[in-house]
Amino acid sequence: MHELEPDPNHQPSPDAHRTLGDTLRWAFELDSSPAIAGATWLTREIVPNARDPFDAILDAATTLKQLEELKTAYKMLRTTGTTMPERNLAARLYAATIAAALVRHNTLITRQSDAALTRAFDELYADETIPERIRTLATLAADAPARRPSANGGNSPRA
Amino acid sequence: MSSPSRDSSATQTNWDLIRDAASGSASARGSLDAVTKRAWPAVYAYIRASGRQREEAAELTQGFMADVFLSRQLVGKADQSRGRFRTLLINSVRNYLADMHRRQTAGFRKPTGVLSALDQLRERGDEPVDTSEASPERAFNARYVAVLIRATSERLHAELASAGDLASWEIFQARILRAAFEGNAPSYDEIGPRVGLDKGTCAARLLVAKRRFATILMEELRATIENPADLQAEITELRALLSNG
Repeated sequence: MHELEPDPNHQPSPDAHRTLGDTLRWAFELDSSPAIAGATWLTREIVPNARDPFDAILDAATTLKQLEELKTAYKMLRTTGTTMPERNLAARLYAATIAAALVRHNTLITRQSDAALTRAFDELYADETIPERIRTLATLAADAPARRPSANGGNSPRA
Repeated sequence: MSSPSRDSSATQTNWDLIRDAASGSASARGSLDAVTKRAWPAVYAYIRASGRQREEAAELTQGFMADVFLSRQLVGKADQSRGRFRTLLINSVRNYLADMHRRQTAGFRKPTGVLSALDQLRERGDEPVDTSEASPERAFNARYVAVLIRATSERLHAELASAGDLASWEIFQARILRAAFEGNAPSYDEIGPRVGLDKGTCAARLLVAKRRFATILMEELRATIENPADLQAEITELRALLSNG
């Protein structure tokens, strides 16, 4: 038996009824919400107090490290999302985290080509399902000095 | 988990297993073991929380399994009601205890031979339950759900192992199962280096595992109901029972 296998004969903690109830709740509700539910859950794993992904990306308190972690999470959600709307949203959020790192931290956190990045920012800006402040971030990032580190002294691209 | 093998009985509904267990067919013994394994912890928890001492609760649980499962009583009721396994089980235990109370001077019949597997199960279920905290119904439901989650977890583990993705299993186990059953969960900063993944990837892998867990859990729940239309009612009731006792 594996060390952490849930043993039904294990003596439950005093809060076991509640925690088991919680387990059932997320199991049954995770996929009953709109596309943003999965992204929101992912976001809160990394930025615990965030209201939603947009809130986390726009919040000045979100650190560069957290933006990198969010970027990685959304990148994976682009392919593992269960619906097309969720995968599309993940792609926009992925671009938005890169934009936020450029604008707020003057750091390029991707090794994507300049052309690919321009396209991602353009698509983010053009997507009217995304909040205005995030789309504005895309336009600011498009002109961010850190996109041309050798010429403007921005920080090096991250993996 | 000892191995990531798939329990073949998981593809059968609990009703199928009960009927087969009482049928005398070649597969009856396997079906009996499977359904007993699922029912034992919840039945024991109910009886123990009703005020019986450990030894007596174990005896009564064993008696219930022998008298109710093997005597075809449950099969007959299942055919009549075609309802939810959990509801039938808890009502059957309640009635059994009332009946045993009336016959308490007659002693309990301990089955031999055909139910030898129960002796092993009894060992696993024979542990103290805090009867001051839980009503019998609440103890039953908490244990019933624990068994459900265990079965679901075993299947998830098997799937991830066969896909060569034990990292996702380790993340799920640490962040979800430990939190649910032990009340604490290690951080991604602790888990990440162990599985060789960064925090963002860990979280994304966990989301995938959670979703698969939810899908399997629904399949396991469907196996406990006869009529698919009862599924939502069963989910709602289970959640309410666990929230409110």
